[in-house]
Amino acid sequence: MIQFENATRKYGKKIAVSDLELTIPSGELFALLGPNGAGKTTTIKMLVGLLQPSRGVVRVCGHDLVSETRSAHSRLGYVPDEPYLYDKLTGHEFLRFIAGMYRIPKHLTQAHVDREIKRFELQEFADDLAENYSLGMRQRLIFAAAFLHDPDVLVLDEPMVGLDPRSVRIVKDLLKERTAEGMTVFMSTHTLAMAEEMADRMGIMVQGKIKFLGTVSELRQQVDVGNKSLESLYLQLTSTPTADQINSPDKT
Amino acid sequence: MQRQLLEVPQENTLTRKLRRTIAWNLVRSTIHKSHFRFGLVVALSTIFWTATFCLFYESFIFIDSMHAEVMSLLFNTFFSALMLMMIFSTGILMYGGLYRSEESKFLLTCPLRAEAIHTHKFIEALWFSSWGFILLGSPMLISYGIVRESPWSFFVMLLPFMVAFVFIPASLGSMLCMLVVAGLPRLRLHAFSVLFAAATFAALWLAWSTFGSTQSQALTPAWFEETLSRLAMTEQVFLPSWWLSSGLLDAALRNHSRELSRQSTFEALKFLGLIIANAMLLSLMASWVARWTYRKGYSNLEAEMPCKRRRQIFWLDELLAHGGSKYGHPIRLLLVKDLQVFRRDVTQWSQFAIFFGLLALYFYNLQSFNYSNAYASLIGHLNLAVVGLILSTFTTRFVFPSISLEGRRFWILGLLPIHRDQIIWAKFLFSFGGGLIPCLGLIFLSDSMLGLEQKTIYVHLACCVALCGGLSGIAVGMGACMPDFRESSPAKIAAGFGGTVSLVLSALFILFVVITVGLTSHLNLLRNAGGRLPDNPILWLIGGSGGLAASLVIIMASGLLATFTPLWLGIRAFRQLEP
Repeated sequence: MIQFENATRKYGKKIAVSDLELTIPSGELFALLGPNGAGKTTTIKMLVGLLQPSRGVVRVCGHDLVSETRSAHSRLGYVPDEPYLYDKLTGHEFLRFIAGMYRIPKHLTQAHVDREIKRFELQEFADDLAENYSLGMRQRLIFAAAFLHDPDVLVLDEPMVGLDPRSVRIVKDLLKERTAEGMTVFMSTHTLAMAEEMADRMGIMVQGKIKFLGTVSELRQQVDVGNKSLESLYLQLTSTPTADQINSPDKT
Repeated sequence: MQRQLLEVPQENTLTRKLRRTIAWNLVRSTIHKSHFRFGLVVALSTIFWTATFCLFYESFIFIDSMHAEVMSLLFNTFFSALMLMMIFSTGILMYGGLYRSEESKFLLTCPLRAEAIHTHKFIEALWFSSWGFILLGSPMLISYGIVRESPWSFFVMLLPFMVAFVFIPASLGSMLCMLVVAGLPRLRLHAFSVLFAAATFAALWLAWSTFGSTQSQALTPAWFEETLSRLAMTEQVFLPSWWLSSGLLDAALRNHSRELSRQSTFEALKFLGLIIANAMLLSLMASWVARWTYRKGYSNLEAEMPCKRRRQIFWLDELLAHGGSKYGHPIRLLLVKDLQVFRRDVTQWSQFAIFFGLLALYFYNLQSFNYSNAYASLIGHLNLAVVGLILSTFTTRFVFPSISLEGRRFWILGLLPIHRDQIIWAKFLFSFGGGLIPCLGLIFLSDSMLGLEQKTIYVHLACCVALCGGLSGIAVGMGACMPDFRESSPAKIAAGFGGTVSLVLSALFILFVVITVGLTSHLNLLRNAGGRLPDNPILWLIGGSGGLAASLVIIMASGLLATFTPLWLGIRAFRQLEP
């Protein structure tokens, strides 16, 4: 479960995320949408502990990200938009390192590693150094690492970038399967179709505030644009850029 | 369900294993992929170590005849200067490692203690900031032990002394970095700059007050005495450098009486214990600082807004973009782009400024000494070599990777209505022009301070032009012949096979130019000085004005060859490139 309680993050005088009140229960796949500079990346950074809120609290499975950072992180899996891999480790070595980090018992480590290697079809290159991987290979390895310790909460930042259609299918099926088992997924994306297909609920963020929170059908009810696509609904909700928004950096 | 977290020893084992695996894979892939580079590194390190050992061995034999206090003073000066440098170098490395690296960003999202991440990055920084000390310190101390006929215990204690010592300045540097970031996030750059400027100023003042303002004539016994008395300020009992030098001097003492030997070894062990205890305490304190400040400091840095850049046009950019012929316009626009990138890349221009600034300072201080003509000529040629070598490191580190980095954005340049050759020419002109101005200035300064003849100064300046052209040609040409489009880090591109070849070719070219001009100029000097030249007709011929002119022609020809051959090869390869 994820809880944002009055979470605010300022960058100097600029408020990137303002008084965010959001609870995502277990077993829900939540998609966060919004234009560039809306505050999505800041929200994710607060959720994974890279940024501390200027005000308010962010909790993962009841653990405050600031005061109980490690407990919160032990429940969390994170797939960033630009994944980091150790170039001089093989995929296999990287997964074993992650297993050690999350204290997976030694007798189970190999089984977990083999499971993820098989699931994400990494067999062919698992023993090559990561410096030789393509973007798609890197992304698949990062997904394998994120699922390795069976996290209770999974945070995804633009998760499908670089993945081939087959890998996208694997990830989508896996997300559906794991949310059905109780895993919470927080996904930030610009791909509206993906959000429409996968998300139980979505939030549309504009200028640091959640402007809409609910399901696609609720969005249709709220925004009166007839029987139009999600794209039209989204554009209507986010179509009033201010000067401040235009001047703000791409990722806030 | 409560998930189990790693205990401190488990965290340390995990990160230690990570570093070990990475190091092993790195060594294995380096040996496997580039035997040449690996062999070169090993050979050059061995040559450097042996040469340093011989140099120190001879120096210690010379100094050993003097009073023992001289050794103490030299050790104290050396280790205190080293300590200061290591505090700053570790601080800068820790800033990059803890706050600006992708790895730390990844580790901060994992269930690791802040202290564990700090320790992991600290050990990495410690290695980077202290390998120079080990490479320079080990031949120095081993040669000292051999000259002093020290007991075996001295050689056994060397490594523990050196390793324990480096932890002290490194821990101080690390704490300084974390406290500055946590306490002054908005002003961190200013704080670092002020500290760095203050340290540089203090070092310059110290150097000036020690060597520059002596009343006695340089290099006379009185001058040495005066200088040594000024260096006594480094002998402060509270300085770890004093503990290190005192411990080493005690350990190196050879006594004929067994009781005295035991006593001095015991004294050395006490100093070693003191250093180890302080190293452990400071490491622990650095861990505490990391626990309380690291995550918050990282968050504060992440939340900083980038400065808004005002749109302004630099006069040189304007001049380049709009002056000159229509044909050269694309080249000039590419030059403006490279200039803008250079100006905004602090890593590039700060290293450039530091190295050339230090050289300028050294050259300026050459006037403090009196030289014979032959000695001044020798130093002048060595300075020419130094300027060439420094320039070659810059061309290899920054110019060589520029084609590879351009390749990553090739779709931009590839779609522009310009010829591919123009990209290569723009890179060459940027490197040649950027290197030529400071190098000519430095050579002129060096030769003027040494009081060399005007004729020699002109010859050196001509050599400098040949060096700048050749080194730029080699770096750009080799960079276009052996590009690495997969790599985004210029440092890694420069460290690859192509970069190594470029560096070796540059070094050979510098060697050729300096030996050619040095030999003829020196023989010419000896001939003009009146008969000090051995009675050999070939040497007389080389040492004549004709020989000097011929050497200049050879150098200019080799300069043109070194400039245009790699450029031609590079342009040919770049035309056929399919990125």
